[in-house]
Amino acid sequence: MKFFILAYKNLKRRKSRSFLTIGGVAVAVAVLVCLLGFNAGYQEALTSDVDKMGYQVIVTAKGCPYEAATMILSGEAGLRFMDEDIYNQITSDPDIDKITPLLAQLTYDPEKQGGRGGFTNYLGIEKSYIELKPNVKFKSGGWFSGDNANEAIMGYEAAESEQKSVGDNISIPDKNITLTVVGTFERTATQEDGTVFLPLKTTQRIFDVEGKLTGIGIKLKQLENISEFEERLYPIASIQVISMNQVKGTILNLVNSAKILIMSVAFIAIFVAIIGVINTILMSVLERTQEIGIVKAIGASRLDIFKLIWMETLIICTFGGIFGSIVAIFGGNLVELLVRNVMPYAPGGKLLLITPELLLFSFLGVIIIGIISGLYPAFKAASMRPIEVIRSGE
Amino acid sequence: MRVLAIRADKLKKIYSSIYEKIVALREIDIKIKKGEFVAIMGPSGAGKTTFLNLVGCLDILTSGNLEIMGYNPVEFNEGKLSRIRIEKIGFVFEDFFLISSLNALENVQLPLIFARNYKNNNRPRALLKRVGLGHRLTHFPNELSGGELQRVAIARALVNNPQILLADEPTGNMDTKNAQGIFDLFRNLNRKEGLTIIVATHNVRLGYSTDRVIYLNDGEIEKDERLVK
Repeated sequence: MKFFILAYKNLKRRKSRSFLTIGGVAVAVAVLVCLLGFNAGYQEALTSDVDKMGYQVIVTAKGCPYEAATMILSGEAGLRFMDEDIYNQITSDPDIDKITPLLAQLTYDPEKQGGRGGFTNYLGIEKSYIELKPNVKFKSGGWFSGDNANEAIMGYEAAESEQKSVGDNISIPDKNITLTVVGTFERTATQEDGTVFLPLKTTQRIFDVEGKLTGIGIKLKQLENISEFEERLYPIASIQVISMNQVKGTILNLVNSAKILIMSVAFIAIFVAIIGVINTILMSVLERTQEIGIVKAIGASRLDIFKLIWMETLIICTFGGIFGSIVAIFGGNLVELLVRNVMPYAPGGKLLLITPELLLFSFLGVIIIGIISGLYPAFKAASMRPIEVIRSGE
Repeated sequence: MRVLAIRADKLKKIYSSIYEKIVALREIDIKIKKGEFVAIMGPSGAGKTTFLNLVGCLDILTSGNLEIMGYNPVEFNEGKLSRIRIEKIGFVFEDFFLISSLNALENVQLPLIFARNYKNNNRPRALLKRVGLGHRLTHFPNELSGGELQRVAIARALVNNPQILLADEPTGNMDTKNAQGIFDLFRNLNRKEGLTIIVATHNVRLGYSTDRVIYLNDGEIEKDERLVK
């Protein structure tokens, strides 16, 4: 039998108390891991979303640039219309490498999701859209037969959920029109997976918005030239130029500000856990006063007692760290689901990035907490004089 | 001539509080040779436990001199005192003081942990067999009788091979038969292993079954009798 086993057996004596304290530490660790994991995951997912967009700059009708950016990122419709002429006007700009017009529309389909109803996103595009999107690849079928054809290309999830494949027909509710599916895209892990793509002209015709666009996606030859590019577009009063990098930076700044607030909550949870650990160990020391005296009487040194009590604290924190990590790994999906429901815009991909490094960091953190919180009870126990504690029990 | 295990010269102990001063030992002189089996007797408050605590390096004397196996505990810090306790002295208490979460074998193994003696794995088992508890190794304290508990405590006190065994009212919580059994065990350890044993007891019959009875009263030696066997 060694110190560790002795410490473990001491904790086993008050099972429920030890278990509850371990639970408190585990909750604190899980909260910390989830928060740090969320921060890293959100940043990575947002960067991935923006990179996958293909365009670094979007031109939209004047309004809130961040609202417009998140709408485009999340594939939502509802953007203001701008004239298609603007597209023709700026397409020859010398700084533009690639450019594509976009027309997003949204319809409510009461038959969707097995009769529960739901919205369908339609995006009117031209072939330049595919050239701008390196990750968009055909799973089956191909491009539309004509610019005004009643045809559709379905995003991966849209095709899966509607059980549609090339050759099938789809209809747009209230528009009394039937479209033939001519292609499906592979999964991109972005909002595009749930979108139905139509030729731009067809979209304008069906939704009765001839000559209108909701946005223009642009890839510049040199991103550094964005200021000059913006300046040249400045005279067109009805539009705004949005840099996706700026949008990304702003969203991350907002998330980071929220993170500080949430982290302070996490630190309160950790602080409460520390108090819980100190309380548990201190109670156990006070309850075992006489026993500690006896153990000293049979030869345990101050250092032995200090080590023993300290080890008990470390065992609690180690188990708390392990359970907290397990909870974070398996409960992370639930947290992600909650966050997605609460946040106005959440990027695709995994929001909660729990890496081995993060788990190790949190685990080491909790061990350090254990070392610190064990100090006082261990010191108190080690300072007991055997004769006094034996006599106190007589 | 046998070497002294304990030498106390003008040993004095005063317990002080803000209300009063209690003189527990009044400058007593005692010499106990190695291998002696001594009973310390006397009424409650006579100073028996105080004497054992001083000899066991659990308490600090007020004045006088004390040598234990040639060491002067007054000169030692707490770390060295715990070394002496673990290497030279075995303790047995009236209330056994076994650890309830450990079984008999683990209780006996306990001092080995503090002595960093992880190799001497057979001794606890052998000692428990020696005290007649070879069949109770994995029993927990709440599964043992008073006599058995004290036997476990004795095995624990002996596991680090001490030179002095101190027992404070070891039979106080026992019936006559069990008490006699414990004293027989002490006698056996004393005769076969030459262990110096000092027992504080109220039990006159058991006290007089040792080699020497030191009778304390009010902190002073009233009688020091060597018994002819």
